[in-house]
Amino acid sequence: MTQKTARSKKPSSKVAPSSRATNVSTSGFLRVSHSRTHSRSINASMSRRSFSLAGDGRVLEKAPMQPARATVKVFDENGTDVTPQPLYRPDPAAVPPRQSKILMAQDVSGATFSDFFSSAFHTTYASFGGPFTRSLFESSIVSKSSQSTMESLNEEIEEPSSKREGIISLSDVQVRREEVKEPTTEDVLNKKVDIHLTETETLCLLDIPATSVSVESEEAEIVKQRNAAYTELCKNRMGNDKYVERAMQTFNGAPKAKEVQTKSITKVDAAITATNWDIYDTLSGTGVEGVVREPPETEESNLLDIMSNHSQESSRNLERSMSFLSHTPSSSSSRTEMEVFLVPVEDAPAPEVILYSEKFQQDLLVMEKVVLQNIFQPKLAAYRQLPILKDPDSTQKPKDTGKTEKQIQKTEDIPSSPALEPLWSFTCELTVGRNVSSMTWNKMNPDLLAVGYGHFDFEDQKSGLVCCWSLKNLKWPDRIFHCESAVTALDFSGHNGCLLAVGMHNGSIATYNVQSKEKTPITDSSEYPHKHTGPVWQVKWVSQERAHSEEEKGEALVSVSADGRICKWVLKKDLDCVDLMKLKRTKSERTRRQLGERERRSELVIWREVPGLCFDFHPEDSNIYLTGTEEGFIHKCSCSYNEQYLETYKEHKGPVYQITWSPFSPDVFLSCSSDWTIQLWRQDLLEPVLVFTSPCMAVFDVAWSPKWATVFGVVTEKRLEIWDLGASILDPTIVQDARPGVKLTSLQFASESDCILLGDSDGQVGVYQLNLNLGEGTQVNKTENTQMKCYT
Amino acid sequence: MAEVEETLKRIQSQKGVQGIIIINAEGIPIKSTLDNSSTVQYAGLLHQLVMKTRSTVRDLDPQNDLTFLRVRSKKNEIMIAPDKDYFLIVIQNPSD
Repeated sequence: MTQKTARSKKPSSKVAPSSRATNVSTSGFLRVSHSRTHSRSINASMSRRSFSLAGDGRVLEKAPMQPARATVKVFDENGTDVTPQPLYRPDPAAVPPRQSKILMAQDVSGATFSDFFSSAFHTTYASFGGPFTRSLFESSIVSKSSQSTMESLNEEIEEPSSKREGIISLSDVQVRREEVKEPTTEDVLNKKVDIHLTETETLCLLDIPATSVSVESEEAEIVKQRNAAYTELCKNRMGNDKYVERAMQTFNGAPKAKEVQTKSITKVDAAITATNWDIYDTLSGTGVEGVVREPPETEESNLLDIMSNHSQESSRNLERSMSFLSHTPSSSSSRTEMEVFLVPVEDAPAPEVILYSEKFQQDLLVMEKVVLQNIFQPKLAAYRQLPILKDPDSTQKPKDTGKTEKQIQKTEDIPSSPALEPLWSFTCELTVGRNVSSMTWNKMNPDLLAVGYGHFDFEDQKSGLVCCWSLKNLKWPDRIFHCESAVTALDFSGHNGCLLAVGMHNGSIATYNVQSKEKTPITDSSEYPHKHTGPVWQVKWVSQERAHSEEEKGEALVSVSADGRICKWVLKKDLDCVDLMKLKRTKSERTRRQLGERERRSELVIWREVPGLCFDFHPEDSNIYLTGTEEGFIHKCSCSYNEQYLETYKEHKGPVYQITWSPFSPDVFLSCSSDWTIQLWRQDLLEPVLVFTSPCMAVFDVAWSPKWATVFGVVTEKRLEIWDLGASILDPTIVQDARPGVKLTSLQFASESDCILLGDSDGQVGVYQLNLNLGEGTQVNKTENTQMKCYT
Repeated sequence: MAEVEETLKRIQSQKGVQGIIIINAEGIPIKSTLDNSSTVQYAGLLHQLVMKTRSTVRDLDPQNDLTFLRVRSKKNEIMIAPDKDYFLIVIQNPSD
């Protein structure tokens, strides 16, 4: 205290220079001078709080030490050395947080952080000296003025603020707040601090202490006195012993030139083209993008190599997005700046890996189809009834082109007679020599055809084969299934387009899934105890409309075989079959009468069942079906009765090979048998409506055309006949002979085209285009008419 | 494995097929039925073509991608099936 008071008595004239000395570079700039004291003791030199707080007048009234007397050490009441540190602190921005702590620690109500902040820039009159060495009044003034600078704070400050502007010249001592020694508690740290950055009044921020004072102000007197004293001093200084001039010299260090050499900074220009898809790929983050690529080479060669690599790769890479950033990397930073989005290419996959990958195989198949499409374009176009594209660049010999053109002209001029035009044939080395036993189109994909190969005769049994041919690949089947026994019947499921049911000569039925590449059947009835014991002559998927229970809705597989049973197979957990009908031998009255005694005696039949050869479900009523037997009878049966036939049509004298309902007339069906006849029946008549005979040959297959109501095709051993009932009921419209040495075995119409498929015993399925020159649309009326004609 | 060989043979045996070239992603021929110089020439040129085509297709719609490319010329047709790791090229002269 005494010290302080002593100091306080120092001439105020000294205050100015000293204070100015301390604040030499700070005029106009309000800074907080550093203080480390925290004590509240009156003796305390600087208290940090001294300058700011509104409520802390107590502090401010303490007379702080004069740091101008630099060697003075300041101790607070606790004995800690709190000597003020030099004024300049480079980072006033760092002060605010500490100030906040101080604020909180001091628990000043109402003071916000912003006030602190602004206060940092206020002239604070605390501490050092000048102002506080004055009277208490001054200090209080100062304190108040410091308070005043925080205008926003308290009302108390408000009043004196206006007065304080005058004193400013001495009062730009800055007190700097430094680290609060107060332990920062968790709460203090976690307390939410509101930081409001506001602009304070310019006056506060830019507080250039006035060097002049108004004459009318209160301090005017004092200032005048001081000024007078100063002038006197100056005058006295001249010859005064008290003042000695002294010069100082600072030593400048000897300069030394220092050279530094760096490697030459290689600059490389890089450019990219960011394409649309490039950007898309990057944004969508496809797996194509790579990591920052680590250039393997050394730094110098880094860039150039990478550039060259990239340019190479850019020309090679297919899907790699190459987003270089255009940059001029220095050698050292080349790695980090190289943000190249590439697939991190270590090596392209090895050739073997490529060649044997799944994708490659698929591509090969597609390519094969494309190549074949090129070759067979005319044929396929004819099949699909598209115009045939003429190849404008074909380098055919003019002779040939002339001929073909003439031919085309001829056909165009003359209304062409019904003709069968061969398009192509499905055959490959696998199928050569095998007998085509059945064909069926896929219900879902009309381009897919399944062909079963197997011999009918008991001798000469090879293993069976099923090939799924696609129209897109005419030279090689899409799927090949090898079966243990000859295939005799095929059908594609209607509900599930990839299920193929295969009936075989040994009585077993297998189902395949043609979608998968597996070669094994899904189900196989060969182990089943109730399987057929004779060759399965026909299988069909029948959709069950009237079902007993919900489970049975869907499709059931019905098969007829030589053991005389018509079975319905249901795939529950296992294959399960239900006998729909047992075909029993019946002897018609007529035959009995004819045969007479002898026959009756030899009625010892080996078995009571008669082999069923074919069946067909009614197109509209799935409960009714027809079945043809080896006896030559056609039985109309119902699913509901499995003991009795509804009706029997007895006309054929030989085994009935095929029965088909007409797709256009619901009551009409055709049957063909080995007695050289084809018979057209109506459901309600027990006599055939029409009988067509073929010359001396068993008729193996008959099929209605799906397009024309009066057209059906007939296959005998040596001929294909197309009958058009509208044209003639006595003769076939088109007759096509088989190739020599080959027997024709099966027939199938194409549903979406005018073509016929003809299977023969050499493993070929020939596709022929049917040109009948008939109009579109059903010709049901014509059928009716022909029928009426027959009756009359 | 054998299937691949079989299919390749079948394609090669079709009418008018002049050659089959398989090149990897970098443009290096892996397998070819043509002579070396032609192979290298085809490989280099077609590689660039496919890159350009693919870039075009994707520029128009980044979600799209190139699946097949056919170049019909006076004398023959070049069919290219591009993939991430390889190109499959078949040269055919269908009117042969």
